[in-house]
Amino acid sequence: MIDKISFLFIEGFRNLWRHKLTASTSIFSVFLTLFLIGILIIVGQNSHYPIEYFRSKYKIEVFFNNNTLDGQEKIIIEEIRGFPEVRSVTLITKKDAVRIFRDQFGEDVVKMLGYNPLPGSAVVNINKGGFEKVNLDPLIKKIQALNGVDVVRYQGRLISRLENFYQMMINLLKISSGVILLISIVVISNTIKLTIYTRRELIKTLQLLGATKLFIKVPFILEGIFQSIIGASLAFFAILGLIKASNYYLTQLISLRIQGDLYFGIGLFIISSFIGFIGSYRAVSKFL
Amino acid sequence: MISFNSVSYSFSKEIGVKDVSFEINHDEFAFLIGPTGSGKTTIMRLIYLDLIPDEGFVTVCGISSNKIKKRKIPMVRRKIGMVFQDYNLLSDRNIFENVALPLHMTGVRRDEVRERVMRMLNELDLEEKEKKKPFELSGGEQQRVCIARALVKEPEVILADEPTGNLDPIAAHDLVKLLEDVNIEGTAVFMVSHNYNLIKNRGHRILEIQMGEIQNQ
Repeated sequence: MIDKISFLFIEGFRNLWRHKLTASTSIFSVFLTLFLIGILIIVGQNSHYPIEYFRSKYKIEVFFNNNTLDGQEKIIIEEIRGFPEVRSVTLITKKDAVRIFRDQFGEDVVKMLGYNPLPGSAVVNINKGGFEKVNLDPLIKKIQALNGVDVVRYQGRLISRLENFYQMMINLLKISSGVILLISIVVISNTIKLTIYTRRELIKTLQLLGATKLFIKVPFILEGIFQSIIGASLAFFAILGLIKASNYYLTQLISLRIQGDLYFGIGLFIISSFIGFIGSYRAVSKFL
Repeated sequence: MISFNSVSYSFSKEIGVKDVSFEINHDEFAFLIGPTGSGKTTIMRLIYLDLIPDEGFVTVCGISSNKIKKRKIPMVRRKIGMVFQDYNLLSDRNIFENVALPLHMTGVRRDEVRERVMRMLNELDLEEKEKKKPFELSGGEQQRVCIARALVKEPEVILADEPTGNLDPIAAHDLVKLLEDVNIEGTAVFMVSHNYNLIKNRGHRILEIQMGEIQNQ
């Protein structure tokens, strides 16, 4: 039994060498499709970085009532800080406002008017939020409801547009990934099918010599899986190289770094082995 | 060894066989002769259970076509040594690998496979061709490889479907002589041919088939 199993395993591997041309065609098609899928996975995994960059720039300005005291402002700040959507809050006291006015306009507003007309305020930065859509309206309502808050200003329309655009991109990515994955399964399984089809005479001869279905199927299935794994390895290293090269050039321009984690590689190998198995199993079953 | 009992089989567009009955004994050498399209290959396909009779039944090595389950057919074929007109050697493997294939199917140990294949190649004067590919051999040599592959598994019967069809007269004569030697060793041989001159006066039974019916036994 061990001899039979080892023979079938070695046959699967040897067939790759025996049919170099058809195997390399199959490997190349696996490589191309998995390379495309891999790129989409990487884009998907890193798609939150640009939106997080924009979200880090989202700014909510909270202006306090003019008669609000410094102590009250700190209490309001702590309340805002307690909201789960909030990442950080920076207090700008009435004194800070005077200083900022002087820095920007070169005039001391207190000397000009004899009193400080500028209200205290706070700048609120929100959490980056990952892939989920950020909706600021509930947070704005909560802040506005706080005692001592006069006006809340934020770039509502711009943020809403950015978030909608990001969601559209994510959905588009999901749909195109699904479509490409489906096409890949069909292309890879058809390529493997074609390599088996060219050897249908061999299958017939094996049958006449008394080979069982399992004896015929196993080397073909292993061959299909080997082809897929080799194609996946090539795609994996090509994508890894592409990430490294992209990061090398990107870091010279912006602070963004493309990440590719271990799950991506494992996923690629699982997908390819699965497709290789299904493709070769279906193809060889057709002739048995 | 082989028994046909009122066997009929028809194809949709051509004649198969009609009400065929005959027997081949376990140490017999018999020829099946007939013109092209007379049903010779259909008889062979019925023996190795590539076709199942529409009527009647075929018994091969004690197993009947009307009782066998599909998944058990390979087990019957392992008892039969097949020799084909076009050799059916696997072109992507060398001679050793071709001959060893039936032994791997039955799970024979690797060292025993080597020993049995080399013994068979020696007996058929093919030991120097061990590493060659089938296309590097002449027609006669390829047919000898085909016989080696059939004999290596020590079958109960050899089925030869027009094995001399692609050979010159001398090679064809040598091949029949080789099969006769195999028969002397105790293996039944059933050979299809349409070359009457080759098989006449050899002292073996000749079955004649015409339009799907056995005319003469």
